[in-house]
Amino acid sequence: MKKKLLSVLLTTAMVASLLAGCGSNAAPAETAPATEEAEEATADDAEAEEAPAAEAGAQNMADADVDVSGLAGTKIAVYTHGGNRVLGEEKKDKDGNTYRDESMAYLTILAKQFTEETGIEVELNVVTNEEEIEPLFQVEDPSIDVFTPPNWSLEQWGAYTEPYCTVAEAAEIYGEEYAKAMPNDEKNIFSIMPGKAYNQAVVYNEEVIKAAGYDEIPATQAEFEKMMQAIKDNGVTPISMHRVENWPLATVQDFAGYVVGDPDVLTECLKEEAPFSPDAPFGKTIKMYTQWKADGFFEPEVYTDFGVAMDSVAYGKAAMMLFGSWVVPQIQGRCPEGTDPSCIKFAPAPDFGAGRYVLAAPADNWAISKFSENKDAARAFIEYVSENAQFIADSGFIANKKGVEPVVPDLYKIINDMIDAGECTPLFQAPKTQNTLNNEAILEEAGLWADYNYVGLLFDSLDVTKPDDWSAYDKQVEDQNALYLETKEDLGFEWQD
Amino acid sequence: MYNESKLFKTFRYLFLIASCLFVVIPLVPLVFMAFKTGAEYSATPVLVPPKNWLNFYNFAYAIRVGHLGKALLNTAIILTVSLGIQMVFTTMVSYVLHRFNFKGKRIIMTMFTLTMFIPCVTTQTVVFQIIYKLKLVSTIWSLILLWSGVGIVGIYIMFNLLDSISKELDESALVDGANYFTIYRCIVLPLLKPACTTLLILNGIGYYNDFYMPNLYLRRDVQTFTVALYKFFGNMATPFEIVSAAILIGIVPIGIAYLFMQKYIYYGLAGAIKS
Repeated sequence: MKKKLLSVLLTTAMVASLLAGCGSNAAPAETAPATEEAEEATADDAEAEEAPAAEAGAQNMADADVDVSGLAGTKIAVYTHGGNRVLGEEKKDKDGNTYRDESMAYLTILAKQFTEETGIEVELNVVTNEEEIEPLFQVEDPSIDVFTPPNWSLEQWGAYTEPYCTVAEAAEIYGEEYAKAMPNDEKNIFSIMPGKAYNQAVVYNEEVIKAAGYDEIPATQAEFEKMMQAIKDNGVTPISMHRVENWPLATVQDFAGYVVGDPDVLTECLKEEAPFSPDAPFGKTIKMYTQWKADGFFEPEVYTDFGVAMDSVAYGKAAMMLFGSWVVPQIQGRCPEGTDPSCIKFAPAPDFGAGRYVLAAPADNWAISKFSENKDAARAFIEYVSENAQFIADSGFIANKKGVEPVVPDLYKIINDMIDAGECTPLFQAPKTQNTLNNEAILEEAGLWADYNYVGLLFDSLDVTKPDDWSAYDKQVEDQNALYLETKEDLGFEWQD
Repeated sequence: MYNESKLFKTFRYLFLIASCLFVVIPLVPLVFMAFKTGAEYSATPVLVPPKNWLNFYNFAYAIRVGHLGKALLNTAIILTVSLGIQMVFTTMVSYVLHRFNFKGKRIIMTMFTLTMFIPCVTTQTVVFQIIYKLKLVSTIWSLILLWSGVGIVGIYIMFNLLDSISKELDESALVDGANYFTIYRCIVLPLLKPACTTLLILNGIGYYNDFYMPNLYLRRDVQTFTVALYKFFGNMATPFEIVSAAILIGIVPIGIAYLFMQKYIYYGLAGAIKS
């Protein structure tokens, strides 16, 4: 009897553990009450403290050149996801072995300088993903002073972050469009972003496109596609997309903005009767990408890792990637010994019908933990970072703070020159509105939001071995349009002017 | 002995070979990658052997940069202390629950059984807060405390062996003047060795491979092997040739343990299945 009972218990426990493991989304849902409670509590606290905190932030902002002499001996802990800036850029030596180039550990170097000048000690911690530090915030742990996670939700920013300054103050110092794009609740800025970046453009290996007969990225879509064909004819992959992961599909979303010269194009799906059809701006962009897939312009094999995808461009096996500026130094660092890393260049995407654009955005999040006991020292460090134009340039961004002479990294030279010449227009990310939230809610409810499914399901529906058979793609367009409209009706959302 | 048909024998061997390949094939690229240079890893398919089998660069790099030696030492300390405490408590609790009848025994057993049905992840928010209040986060004591507890699986493994240990042994000892603790220490505990070995193997391997708990509770300088391994994973790119070398280093202690404990592992697992 006992053996039977033991067997039943063991089996049940094994099945239960398996089921618990399967539902990766279930765990957060199950723990949600506790988290919500914590969030509610912190939100209440935040509300109560909002005014004085914002005032304090404003005060500190006004006294940015605060006297730090009294802070000597203080120790602050900085948690950052930017391992490259702490440990050095990952490179390969002459034998092809991987190593970290410590001379490129820019944040470590900067922190040492800061300590020498102010007497404030800085302990740098690298986090692999931002979720790692969340449990410490949930218990209001004071051991984190400064952190740089890039993907918090607004609720998380509000719950865990000391307001840095008001939106109006940030607008004064960083420009209105950049300030609005920093994490904020329309009143306070939670995380200051002292750099600016030009994103979602063409990162290319100059040697490869030269071998195909081109000196630069062509200005028009037709010429661009002609160039890709020429690259393909040379036996080189035109675009390394790394579709094995979902995040690269974000480029498609941003490119849709370039197709119509409107950064809010995804939100404006709300206006469309058939947003995923090729005659709607968003659908047109996905169709363009899928056509490139049919034409064999993306890598035929699956890259095991994004590092291998970057290597393909560094080693000239692929001509380009369509990503942000962040990837440029990483690919340059991977160029083989004897190759000039400056052959990796960054240029705007071609004109897809509405002109040439590049996404301009604030860059490099720096926030103070709400639970820090060294807020003044933390703020002093962030201000030190934001005023060091060379550090910001070394990090791949352009210093954007008023009064700081920016250093433009080489990678932006082509784009900067084109913007100055009026050949390319910076496009600012549209602020989140009720329309944005409604559109996201529709996509979420329709099961299209997670993993960029609204792009991925269409892109993947074309079988690359049957490039002329678009029936599955057309069917997916039809289904996706119907699903979107049905959900929109169910939720009762319409475009609000 | 029955006469096995040739067809069945062939099928049996084919099945066994296929099973072996199923286990071994994923390890082959791991070994290959560990000896490749970073450039070679990017340029060649995973099933292509390395050009130089004497390239130990990745192993040295993993140990030096990932502080794997320190991480393995931490793991060893945590496992030794927590499993040691767990063995003492499990055997004591099992002895008491098996041999004695007392008020509330059923309730205690039911509570132990109920813990099996609560997935560990769901209680972690509360457990983390408790451990944090005890100021044990970022110290090895957090894991030692959490892993030293008595589990129902351990109790049942002990119960199965206790069933076969005659109660007359206890009674004779009592008659000879031994107290209950002496009976436990001198009679029951030595006879529970096989069950202890089974439990050590089951939990030891589980804890050694666990990533979730060490990643949640240990930070900064105190890392177990799995957490140290995770630090090689970048936000975007990961040097998999280094990670492969680190994994092979991590397999070494388990391999050594297997060599020395082969007999017990076989006995322990077979015993567990039999019971």
